[in-house]
Amino acid sequence: MVTRLAMTAPPIAAAPRSPRNPGPSWGYGFLLWAERWWPRWFFRPMLMLGTWIAVARLPSQRAHSRAYLAVALARPSTLLDVWRHFFTFSDSLLLKLRAGRGVPVRCTLAPENAAAFDALVRSARPALFGTFHFGGSDLLGYLLGERGRRVSIIRLRVGNSDDTRLLGQRFGDKVSFLWINDPANLLFDLKAAIEAGASLALKCDRLEFSAKTESFFFLGARRVFPFTIYHLALLFDRPVAFCVAVPAAPPGDELDVFASPVFTPDPTASRSTNLAAARLHFQAVLVQLEALVRRHPLLWFNFLPLNPVAAVSVPTAPRPTCTP
Amino acid sequence: MPDPLHTRLKVLIVETLKLDDVLPEDIPDEEPLFGSPRFGLDSIDALELVLRLEKEFGLKIGSSEESRRALSSVAGLAAYIRAHPPGSPP
Repeated sequence: MVTRLAMTAPPIAAAPRSPRNPGPSWGYGFLLWAERWWPRWFFRPMLMLGTWIAVARLPSQRAHSRAYLAVALARPSTLLDVWRHFFTFSDSLLLKLRAGRGVPVRCTLAPENAAAFDALVRSARPALFGTFHFGGSDLLGYLLGERGRRVSIIRLRVGNSDDTRLLGQRFGDKVSFLWINDPANLLFDLKAAIEAGASLALKCDRLEFSAKTESFFFLGARRVFPFTIYHLALLFDRPVAFCVAVPAAPPGDELDVFASPVFTPDPTASRSTNLAAARLHFQAVLVQLEALVRRHPLLWFNFLPLNPVAAVSVPTAPRPTCTP
Repeated sequence: MPDPLHTRLKVLIVETLKLDDVLPEDIPDEEPLFGSPRFGLDSIDALELVLRLEKEFGLKIGSSEESRRALSSVAGLAAYIRAHPPGSPP
């Protein structure tokens, strides 16, 4: 059973100081219109040109992209690398906008961990689904709905976010939103949602709104990641599974979905035993993610500082026994 | 003579939040539980404590405002519990 929560009002108007995506307020609408009506031979070069303008006008995102790419590519990154990073993001945004206006997006679950993940998604058991700002993962909450799993998606409410508005309109019967802009109220929205039997989908790479963080090996260093999802899992006895999506080759309206093993808290074990198991699980998730990031470095869409390297006092997971 | 409910709540707080370096009797009745650098508790800790209190005392704390009021201090929590016997509306 799922209770509709705070959704229903996808972000339309922003308060003057509320967060917003970079770019003009009409940007997403124009992009959607142009993609639909301009011929491809004209639209693609225009998109490339627009991406150069974005690279030029967004110095902070450009700097963070360059710093991240230097880590992911293991070499100094060039301006062309940064442009390709921005352009890949534009393609991902377009896929979301297309999905929001009704173009079907086909998802294929990769074989690794597929059986357990699919069984969880199709079961009646409420669960916590984690993902990252990677590839087409923004669409996963909606696509879980397509498999019969209704979810409440935890998101930051931003001003000019037509992709979220359109997806909210299209999948409104399958998803709801919990907005994290007010963490104090979020807590009780979360509690109400979980107690009502809702499944939650949340991204677990940005630290801003996470009460609990821990450090894990990722991209060559111990980096701090949100760990709240596992605390919620233990508090409410909910399984946790992660999945990420990358565009299928050749590029089109198709995604390959990679699922993690399912973490299920053991109610008979102590909290510390469960947390230790959770740390091992998340480290395995990050090993899987890092393998994908190394293969598709342009799909990591955090145009923000990479997760910080941990200070010594931050709790840490054991070093993974294998690295990609 | 310490209030037995205060004592019970302090034990419950230390147990629930695994405050290994804090003894129940070290928690002053009026000290804020959250936002105090002494305890360093966060929102997930608050949620955990609320769940335990709901289970132990048959409460239903339904909003963050209510939880802020309830979890203001041990004395505030005791007053909240006395004002909300099991089965009373939140």
